[in-house]
Amino acid sequence: MTHFLVMTSFAALAAVVFGIVAKDNQRERLVYGVKVFGEFLAIGLVLGWILYFLPF
Amino acid sequence: MSNVDKGQVEEAAPTQAWLMGAAGWLVPGVGHLLQGKWVRALLLGGAVWTCFIAGLWMGGHLFIVKSGEAGSSMLYQVPPMVANLGTGLLYLICWLFDTGFSDDPINAARSTYEYGNTFLLVAGLLNYLCMLDAFDISAGRKS
Repeated sequence: MTHFLVMTSFAALAAVVFGIVAKDNQRERLVYGVKVFGEFLAIGLVLGWILYFLPF
Repeated sequence: MSNVDKGQVEEAAPTQAWLMGAAGWLVPGVGHLLQGKWVRALLLGGAVWTCFIAGLWMGGHLFIVKSGEAGSSMLYQVPPMVANLGTGLLYLICWLFDTGFSDDPINAARSTYEYGNTFLLVAGLLNYLCMLDAFDISAGRKS
């Protein structure tokens, strides 16, 4: 299992829960869930690249 | 001026809401299932169960406070244990069968070990959110 797949699975599971509990209607839930999923992935990738260049 | 004067009296949550919250904590998804929220139960419960099982499969470690550990070392185990405890019966069953609690160097050497730990911690934390959602729905605070 690749690191990216694990990160994607984590983001998807968290996004499902966040989307459902945080918003009140279907459309808002979907939009928020997708947003959370994208943010998890984007932040993970950005942090990964920052850490890649750190010498320690 | 008190809240009563402002007309902002909050009704106490009914006993049923506490029971739904407890059921949701004990078995992830059941709090919603008992209220007839099938889709929500499937999605929320499924996410928590998947997270927990994936965590164990990746070799993750469940935390518990051991009486033999000295001072602050014991205290460091409390926050992750509280997070793990969020999975309710899943955690208790693992504790009864001593699954996921042992400090196994073979598991710790796996590249997915830390991912497993994180998945197990997050499964519990997500279930706390699900539990609160089930409570709020039963108390009439959410639809």
